[in-house]
Amino acid sequence: MLFKSIRWRLQLWLAFLLVCLLSGFGFTVYQLQRVSQVKQLDEELERRVAVISGAIRGGAPKTGVSSLSFEGRPENRELNGDSRQPNTSRRFSDAPGVRDDRKGPFGPRDFPISEEISNLFDRGGASAFYFIVWSRDGAIFKRSSNAPAEVPLPTRLGEMDTRTYARTRDEYREAFHFTELADCVLTGRSISADLASMRRFKFLLLAAGGIVLGFGLGGGWWLTSRAMRPVDDISLAAMRISEGNLSERINVSDTDSELGRLATVLNSTFARLEASFAQQMQFTADASHELRTPLAVIISEAQTTLARKRGGAEYRESIGVCLNAAQQMRRIAESLLQLARFDAGQEPMRRNALDLAENARMCVDGIGPLSKERDIKIRCDLRRAEIFGDADRVDQLITNLLTNAIQYNKPNGDILVTTGTENGDAVLKVIDNGQGIAAEAVGHVFERFYRVDKSRSRIEGRSGLGLAICKAIADSHGGSINVSSELGTGTTFIVRLPAMKVS
Amino acid sequence: MRILIVEDEPRLLRNLARALREEGYAVDVAAAGDEGLYKAESYNYDAIVLDIMLPRLDGWEVLERLRKQKHTPLLILTARDTFKDRVRGLDDGADDYLVKPFDLSELLARLRALIRRSAGQTTSQIDVGGVVINTRARSINREGRQIPLTAREYAIFEYLALHRGEVVTRTALYEHLFDENEDTMSNLLDVHIFSIRKKIGRDLIKTRRGQGYSIER
Repeated sequence: MLFKSIRWRLQLWLAFLLVCLLSGFGFTVYQLQRVSQVKQLDEELERRVAVISGAIRGGAPKTGVSSLSFEGRPENRELNGDSRQPNTSRRFSDAPGVRDDRKGPFGPRDFPISEEISNLFDRGGASAFYFIVWSRDGAIFKRSSNAPAEVPLPTRLGEMDTRTYARTRDEYREAFHFTELADCVLTGRSISADLASMRRFKFLLLAAGGIVLGFGLGGGWWLTSRAMRPVDDISLAAMRISEGNLSERINVSDTDSELGRLATVLNSTFARLEASFAQQMQFTADASHELRTPLAVIISEAQTTLARKRGGAEYRESIGVCLNAAQQMRRIAESLLQLARFDAGQEPMRRNALDLAENARMCVDGIGPLSKERDIKIRCDLRRAEIFGDADRVDQLITNLLTNAIQYNKPNGDILVTTGTENGDAVLKVIDNGQGIAAEAVGHVFERFYRVDKSRSRIEGRSGLGLAICKAIADSHGGSINVSSELGTGTTFIVRLPAMKVS
Repeated sequence: MRILIVEDEPRLLRNLARALREEGYAVDVAAAGDEGLYKAESYNYDAIVLDIMLPRLDGWEVLERLRKQKHTPLLILTARDTFKDRVRGLDDGADDYLVKPFDLSELLARLRALIRRSAGQTTSQIDVGGVVINTRARSINREGRQIPLTAREYAIFEYLALHRGEVVTRTALYEHLFDENEDTMSNLLDVHIFSIRKKIGRDLIKTRRGQGYSIER
């Protein structure tokens, strides 16, 4: 679980990278320091080897005579393991002109401890330089007083090898070379102090590395915390939303960052979700309200009537009331079912070529009795407007609009029905000069169960779904329905449906 | 007992009015919020049945404005069934809340309870000097025998019994026992009181000359 968290994984990667970088860096620094220290010591040792080597040959000490090096000699040869390093930059050989006949049984020449030599060696202390000279037969010829007791004689690599080598023996660093006469000159020094200081240095490096690692991880934790906080906010908000609190939103303070943009997108999604939920809730509440009212009428009427003995006329009246309410419920149920089918795209449509003008004429004829009852005149201006649609649904749409226009009209009002084509659309208009709709209500008339006057229409026995169904029918035909209205002047409904292509 | 019904569904309004009248209540009706508020403010009803979805002035508004003036027991009768609406209704000052569709017997029982409570009575039985009034059955018994009263006589006696210990004025009796449509003659009340005394006994209902009637506690 812990390692599935992005934050912990980032932290682990950061730790891994930091450890790699720091150990690489520390190792390099340590090695550089060690190499330079060794090199410095080796130079000191070689200088002393040269001095002693010069002294046993009786000449002046020859230091740094690199000009005498043999050409073509193999370089970087190692002796007795890696602690011995050949140093080819320093070679000691006889100066030109020195006789070569000393190869016989002659030993190295004794030399006095000059001031120079005593300055270089024998200065006391643990880290003083010492020297040992072996004669060619392996016996110690001369040694400084501070030389350690058991110093093994180095082995020579080849007959003519006079190069100076360096070796590390326990806590000593030594440089040696063999003269042409196979005498061996060795100088050395205890390096225990150097090793101790390198250990201290190593410890310091480790400590510094640890501190840097600590700071790095702390900073990394802070950074990842900062970076992950919006993610945590988002997931918390999403959790609260999933728990049912749909009005919850992610607190977006930084809208320009990547996560801010994500949060903004999520917020707008949540808002839409909430709106559609609210709409659904409202619809359910409205539907149940609309069904409860006639149900209340039926139950209450039946209970009142059954409470005592009544005459036949009273029973008739009571059953009439119940029937009326039941039919209202049936209308609502049918409308709801039809809307649900439209919503699911399951309303069966039998599309045919039809002329809006013809359908409108039939609908006007059909609604004649109702309009006569209300003393409302319907005028027509019907021009050809061919569409490809379901005749029953189109009739339902037109009839709903006409019923609406009649019911919200005033006595002796007029209705004008027109059909025709406009910009490639078949257009149907139903215009009345009735009560009109208040401006704040116009935008809602196609909503389910929306009623401009909440009490009046229920008395008429309307379901409040007629215009919603009109819209569903227009939509399912790929068309649109719009309304414009002015209070007291009248209302115009305009239906646009895609006209059939005239071939 | 006089009750106001504010309800915009005409069939339900007519039905409720009939049912309550048959139960012996005097009933006034209003089909819109403003009309209901006007009546509720003008008369001292014993209870009000109020719908929420009303034209012109909705039930919440009626309740809020009415509660600034009167404490008339009020029952909300609505199709709005969410707990939020119930809580709001009760918190806004309604005494009871009933969701449509409802059982008529439940509505009647709740109305009886409302009226009883507002008169400080806790059960449906009132005992006045050996005469027991059963408000549920709308009957009066003395020593186990039922005394036959007309609906109007019962209403007068019940009202006096509910308010026993206080003097009930003639005006109050008229206001609570006759609805707005009844043409009441001033001596009608005397006739009813005379009749009740004849059936139950002379001493139970006292006449306070110039003030009204009372039943001693």
